[in-house]
Amino acid sequence: MKINVQSLAFKQSVTVLVSISIVFAILFGLGGLRINEKLSQMLLQKGEEISRANVALINNLFSSGKSIGEELSVEIGTQNLGGEELDEFLLHSLTGVRATIPQVVAMVVAFEPGKAPGGVEGEYMRLAYYSGKETSVINGGDYGETKWYKGTKDSLKGQWQEPFIGQFIKEPIVIYTTPIFRTDASGQKEFVGVLCVDISIAFLKDAIASIPISSSGYAVVLSADNTIIAHPKNELTFKSNFASISRSASHKRLVEFENAVDQMKHGLFLGTSVDGQDAAIYFTAMESINWKFLIVWPAEVFMEEQRSVGHMFAFISLCGYFILFVIVLVSMFRVSRPLKAIAAAAGKIGQGDFSAEIPALPGDDEISQLAKSFEDMRQSLQAYFESEKSMDRVKRDLDFSRGIQVGLLPKDESEENTADDRHALAPLLLPAEDIGGDFYDFFKLDNDRLAIVIADVSGKGVPATLLMMVSRIVIRTLAMHVDSVSEIFNETNYELSRRNKDNLFVAMWMGVLNLKTGRVDYVSAGHRPPVIHHKDCSVEFVKGKPNLAMAVMEESRYTQESMTLAPGDSLFLYTDGIIEAENSEGKPFGKFELLKALSECCEHDPAELCKFVKARMDSFVGEARQMDDIAMLAVRYDGEKDNR
Amino acid sequence: MQIVKTQQGGTLTIALDGRLDSLTSPQLESEIQGKLDGVAHLVIDFEKLAYISSAGLRVMLVAQKIMSKQGDMVLKKVCQEVREIFDVTGFSDILTIE
Repeated sequence: MKINVQSLAFKQSVTVLVSISIVFAILFGLGGLRINEKLSQMLLQKGEEISRANVALINNLFSSGKSIGEELSVEIGTQNLGGEELDEFLLHSLTGVRATIPQVVAMVVAFEPGKAPGGVEGEYMRLAYYSGKETSVINGGDYGETKWYKGTKDSLKGQWQEPFIGQFIKEPIVIYTTPIFRTDASGQKEFVGVLCVDISIAFLKDAIASIPISSSGYAVVLSADNTIIAHPKNELTFKSNFASISRSASHKRLVEFENAVDQMKHGLFLGTSVDGQDAAIYFTAMESINWKFLIVWPAEVFMEEQRSVGHMFAFISLCGYFILFVIVLVSMFRVSRPLKAIAAAAGKIGQGDFSAEIPALPGDDEISQLAKSFEDMRQSLQAYFESEKSMDRVKRDLDFSRGIQVGLLPKDESEENTADDRHALAPLLLPAEDIGGDFYDFFKLDNDRLAIVIADVSGKGVPATLLMMVSRIVIRTLAMHVDSVSEIFNETNYELSRRNKDNLFVAMWMGVLNLKTGRVDYVSAGHRPPVIHHKDCSVEFVKGKPNLAMAVMEESRYTQESMTLAPGDSLFLYTDGIIEAENSEGKPFGKFELLKALSECCEHDPAELCKFVKARMDSFVGEARQMDDIAMLAVRYDGEKDNR
Repeated sequence: MQIVKTQQGGTLTIALDGRLDSLTSPQLESEIQGKLDGVAHLVIDFEKLAYISSAGLRVMLVAQKIMSKQGDMVLKKVCQEVREIFDVTGFSDILTIE
């Protein structure tokens, strides 16, 4: 299929598609946002589900460890245990606790120098631990300046220490330290040492590795200062700090991450995981120990889901877009194809081939009506020519032309069904004896828009009449489908120019009057400007660029202009037969005489306005013969009832 | 209407006297159609032309179309009234008027 980019079908299709594209773009944008939002929600929900049980388990363990520490420290303090008794107590407690919580691997008591029972001088530290086979107690020392001891002594409160790899137990452990108090004889409470409960967290690695997480996600546990305690990649634990989350994190920085952990307890971030990959990270704070439980989804996987939804959306849109394109194109070609056929047939008729049949079109739309009336014309032409062969050719031509001209043009508004209470309109046609090219036209585009046309086709006889018919039909048809008057003119000119072998041309003025607002959009194609006859009878020519007459050059482009009529104003359209009407001395009536006549007519009825101008012209011309067609069309704009 | 043709080398001057309307236009057209072979410059003298109708404009268009293929065409000494008709119909845009 050859596509003519000048064609109405193509232009309309492009317009429709551009509009659709804009709508699609907006939908895409909104759709994208919505997808992101949904995916985030989904991840947040998933994170919560996976974390809940694990966090509860870990919380439980540490809560138990903590309460064991609190209990035992009180016991050691109040019973004033020392020496063998202390070792016995530690071993007994460790074994007992391990029966239910096997993660507890050691218990340590460290006394303030000189405060140990039994009069031991200096530091005294006893460590009961499980070696993997049995439990035993050994001595320890040099703890006075350690962080765990000093921290507990200074705050006099139980606390969790940062996890580390044990000295005796070579696995990651976390310890809970509690101060030991002794009440002396005078009832004074005194700090005498620290009890530690050591809990192995080696199990965490296996525990988190066994958590099944979809989309290549994995779990990570961070300590209070963001050290990685458990990670599926063992080599990262205790070495990397999750501070790297701040690097190139597009949404939130680490500071914000930490603040959020403090405030929000759980949430979703986009950031960088320790192994340097972009990731979507869900976190939950563990209240018992102030650690964080993280679930990390590599961004690729996250983005992949986002993308696949996007791709599906794009694919569906593209299919829809393509289908729309085809539908629009096909429907537009259906409109324009019969027009082309009619134009081609008109061309043949113009060359004298009256047998060129117009294809009958189904339906009862504007175009099939047009085709039908064109076919009627062709048949009457054919019949006429066949039956009247003996008639003088020129006279026959002219009679025919006049017949068409007078017969075709609507004589009043009832014929076109345009009457309403917002305007009044009247035409007047005075055909000359041997010319047949002037025409006026009026029709409604919709309830509120009235199109008015006046035109003068150069030349005379059948060719001029046919050009007039074709112009009128093309204008009418295009006006039903194209909003802009200039575009109607561009298109009509193109169609007329292409087949114009006789170098005929059409001077035309067309305006579209908006009956609601009084606004008139108009274009002149080499036609004299109409006169505005104001309510107060003042007059002026409509301003604007004349442009080139139609059918002269294919590529002519027409400039559209607009003006606004006030209620009570009239537009007086006329062909140059009035201006050029001459009296017996060869002096033309002229445009100033026309203007003068209109200014002196204070009659606002359109029919009377036309009659008045005709009377003035008749009295000027006198007995001289009318050389050219004269067409007039007067329209009075009344406006909406409420605004009058 | 009187038509006076003067040939000087490749330049043909056509002087018009009277009115160029639907009655007289065929006369001018017959002087142009098929008779401009070898003409590189066509000058149409409008000095004594008082009126041009749309039929006359058509002949100008025919001449312009022929001449734009083989040379140029100039309209000279166009009076105010005729000039206005060229302007109103937009023909001043496609014709060379001096």
